[in-house]
Amino acid sequence: MSSVQGRLIRSYWIAVALLFAADLVLIIRYTPDEQTMGAVQKIFYLHLPVAINTFLACLTAFVASIAYLWHREGWWDDLAAAAARVSVQLCAVVLATGMIWGRAAWGVWWTWSPRLTFSLILFLLYVVYLVIRSSVEGRERRAIIGSVYAIIAFLDVPLVWLSARLLPDIHPGSVQLEPAMKMTLLASFVPVTLLAVGLVVTRFVLNRTASVTANSVQASKPRDIRTAPLVTGAALHGPKAIRQANGAL
Amino acid sequence: MPLVAQQFLLLVGKDLKIEARSRQTIGLVIVLGLLIVVVLGLGLGGGAAVGLGATVVLWVAYLFSGVLCFEKTMAVERSESALAALMLTPISRGTLYLAKLTSNLALMAAVALVITPAGVLFFSFDLSAAPVTFGAVMALGIVGFAAIGTLFAAVVSSTRLQGGLLAMMIFPVALPLVIASTQLLIHQFRDGLPVGGMGLGVLVAFDAIFLTASWLMFELVLEP
Amino acid sequence: MRAAGLGKMMDERSVLISIDLSIAAGEFVAILGTNGAGKTTLLKILATLMPPTAGWLQLFGLDVPRQAAQARARLGLIGHQSMLYRDLTARENLELFARLYGVENPRRRAEELLSIVGMIERADDAVKTFSRGMCQRVSIARALVHEPDLVLADEPFAGLDVPGAAAVERLLSDLHAAGKTIVMVNHDVLQSLRLADRVIVLSAGTIAIDQPARIADAPGILAELAGTDRRLDLMGERQCH
Repeated sequence: MSSVQGRLIRSYWIAVALLFAADLVLIIRYTPDEQTMGAVQKIFYLHLPVAINTFLACLTAFVASIAYLWHREGWWDDLAAAAARVSVQLCAVVLATGMIWGRAAWGVWWTWSPRLTFSLILFLLYVVYLVIRSSVEGRERRAIIGSVYAIIAFLDVPLVWLSARLLPDIHPGSVQLEPAMKMTLLASFVPVTLLAVGLVVTRFVLNRTASVTANSVQASKPRDIRTAPLVTGAALHGPKAIRQANGAL
Repeated sequence: MPLVAQQFLLLVGKDLKIEARSRQTIGLVIVLGLLIVVVLGLGLGGGAAVGLGATVVLWVAYLFSGVLCFEKTMAVERSESALAALMLTPISRGTLYLAKLTSNLALMAAVALVITPAGVLFFSFDLSAAPVTFGAVMALGIVGFAAIGTLFAAVVSSTRLQGGLLAMMIFPVALPLVIASTQLLIHQFRDGLPVGGMGLGVLVAFDAIFLTASWLMFELVLEP
Repeated sequence: MRAAGLGKMMDERSVLISIDLSIAAGEFVAILGTNGAGKTTLLKILATLMPPTAGWLQLFGLDVPRQAAQARARLGLIGHQSMLYRDLTARENLELFARLYGVENPRRRAEELLSIVGMIERADDAVKTFSRGMCQRVSIARALVHEPDLVLADEPFAGLDVPGAAAVERLLSDLHAAGKTIVMVNHDVLQSLRLADRVIVLSAGTIAIDQPARIADAPGILAELAGTDRRLDLMGERQCH
């Protein structure tokens, strides 16, 4: 990678880190503590943006999978895999923050409430995607199977959401947000989204270089260099084949 | 009769005839389902989950025996590479999917007919309030389950993968079915509320969406 | 049938590289080569069961894959495996495929074919009771049920004993005499030279030799096949099938 690219990447991540720092300052200092829950409630400011980004990552995987099945270009599949991997990572964060929040709010680490159940199932759906990918040999087969599964998984997401809402909910209703809280929440979206995008792009580039390397390793394999049979074959096929045969030598 | 319907019936007939001759799949699958119900009944029975526990236990039994069933119906096609011959005939891939799905549903119906009464019995589940509702809800669930199961079984059978992969793929996707049907039945039997609204909507939507999606994508996963 | 520049990459391996092929109606072509040379892959592509990653293919003047369905109606495939349902009888298998192809009078066609391949006495026995040779004969019947013009055979003699192989040889010769085009993948060089009009040797994914059988250089072919054994390491690992 060229040094200009290297520097751009470094600046990107520094910017993200700074934005996070600024955001944390906002969260800790600027917003008031919520009456019932206290300081732990502030985890919500990260929880929601991460959750939204998880969904966007799943959506990206879905669209990339459809694009792959339509065009059969390897890089769509690499994008889908990258997005799905990041969605698993983000979903783990959603689960963790949800559980911490739940512990603070209701005193238990786990309950089969709609939100927690939904996060868990979403997490499992995409973990399975990663396991499938690592189990299938053969790039093309892996891509097709992965794409089909990613499409099905994403179509499942609204159904999971709706069915989870049937579960009894301990803590119904939404939180009331004062203006300061609303602003912080919106501000938190920025570093989180940038982080998510950065992770997807990084992973995508990793996948891409791996695919490209695999391809070029193949192309450089030495071939048969017996001359006599090739010439005989060429005599039957004509000048074009002779040129090809010479190219192979 | 249009050609498509004829071909469809031929394929389903073929699957059922093979099953009737070898009786391989049906025996295994029913016994497995029954064992699961018994094991869970023993473990949970006696107060812990009487009555409505049957719904979940039945679902667990359906899930595991279903996965086995779908694997075996695809294995029939793979054993002598008969699938390649089928793919050379003028049959459309969509028809192949529907035929496989119907064969799977027929087998699952047989399984359900045996293990559902067993579950109801072992858990002393009183169905008298709404037996038709119970049947309909479970039926909708099994249809959705088979819809994705048939697709995924085709995917898994064409690759040299280890066992358990099919179960791993189907279970998370099928969870909305389990949640919706158990919640629906809880509301019906414990709370006496009539079935309707979102729960039913989820089941119907699941079936519609995944029947269509699987039917469309079946040809992508088929490999001779 | 014509093909140009056919290429196939599988699992990041170049299994077939730039195959140019032209086969006239009624020709009997034998494709030879060591394991891993790409013979089965080539045959699968010709059978429209696998798309090539490069190049184009025309069967009976029809473009594959665009008009693949029409092309399939005129070709039959015989493989290592019998492609039959083991729990059904020979007759049931043939009638099933006949009906799927929309053949008129499937019952009679099945009987006809079973007689031709010499399996009529065992018509109502389940395929799983047959020996390999018998399976292969019913498999040939299955491939012919819709009267294809092109017969593709992937190592039809694999695992057969002498009488079984002789029966299959006779069947293939009869088909050839009847004017069918036959493309056969085989291991036995001398047998192929005996049966076929034309011999093609695949080596590491390319056509190394393409000669009419009459003037074919048998020692040269054998040397080619023996020689490429050493070069298998360069192709990378071949998966065990």
